[in-house]
Amino acid sequence: MQAFVTVGSTKFDDLIDTVASEDFLTRLSANGYTRLVVQYGKSKLRLPFQGETSHGVEIIAWQFKPSLSEEYLAADLVISHAGSGTILEVLRLNKRLIVVANETLLDNHQRELADALSTQGHLVSSTVSSLPQALESIATMKVVPFPPFDGSKFARILDEEMGFI
Amino acid sequence: MSLLSTITTLIVAFSTVCVLRILFIFKRGHCRSKRAASDTCGLAVFLGSGGHTTEALALVSALDFSRYNPRTYIISDGDNLSAQKAHELEERKSERNRESNYTIIYVPRARRVHQPLWTTPPTVLASLVTCVKHAIHAALQPEPVWDILILNGPGTCFSICTAVYLNRFLGLASPRILYIESFARVRSLSLSGRLLRPFVDRFIVQWPEVLQEGGRSQYFGCLV
Repeated sequence: MQAFVTVGSTKFDDLIDTVASEDFLTRLSANGYTRLVVQYGKSKLRLPFQGETSHGVEIIAWQFKPSLSEEYLAADLVISHAGSGTILEVLRLNKRLIVVANETLLDNHQRELADALSTQGHLVSSTVSSLPQALESIATMKVVPFPPFDGSKFARILDEEMGFI
Repeated sequence: MSLLSTITTLIVAFSTVCVLRILFIFKRGHCRSKRAASDTCGLAVFLGSGGHTTEALALVSALDFSRYNPRTYIISDGDNLSAQKAHELEERKSERNRESNYTIIYVPRARRVHQPLWTTPPTVLASLVTCVKHAIHAALQPEPVWDILILNGPGTCFSICTAVYLNRFLGLASPRILYIESFARVRSLSLSGRLLRPFVDRFIVQWPEVLQEGGRSQYFGCLV
């Protein structure tokens, strides 16, 4: 199984450090993961772990790609920063998702989105320090599928607003 | 003395006309005109970069492009990613519709990320002047090109909204304004949402809890 960690365009050193830690890699391995792909963006990559296998997990790390869609598709689990675009895209691909809020950012409204969607059973909302527990929760929980994009609602609102209906 | 009183009278008269005009604009805001199914409707949408762009384009992607035609994408200076995403959407849709009638216009940012608050007046003014220019230009076309304007934040929205109000004040054609608060706002409105809510024709939120902030917000579930 493959896990994909993404920080988008943000700098999120704590998350990158944590997923590269011995403890986390051991837990990943214990949960059946053999491959960890890390998109680290502007974060610092402290370990030169490109292509290495550590604690039974092969690690691949890179900064950016124009589109992450293929990575989401290839992954069995996505661990992401709390960007709403990422959250929607991953949920619509019916992937297991752990959202880790960056608590060093002052604006915490993105944490609210992750928490609300977690309450509805679509994902697990976590902090960096509770990531090991989140890994256990996501493995055992029954994920509620997120409804697919339905553009007809907005089309109807606009048609009504503009006098077509 | 008589000159002074003439000037005073003129100022009072001018202010009264302005106030009446503004009151008239606010009253007029809610009437809607019927359109035939075959009519077209010019659409303008602001792509505020990042998540704002993603959501705005998701909304627009749901529309019938032969009806909402032409389309204008308003983008902040230097935001190439939003421009690219708008082009991609148009290409995707034109495969089905075989026509693609859109323009991209650029406006300076009202406030850059992390820009100190005290330096904003000149940047806001530059942004406003460009928006006014575009709004007046749009109104002076033989067929109106902005019938509806879709906004979802952030700051530069305010300049665009102000430009539309100037059109209304001058009696020029102006679009209805629809503000869709981001799906990321679960419990409270964004700053631009809070500021613009009284001025837009329709204000829509995507989480029920945000409705409770009062006012004339509407909720139809997740739209993106």
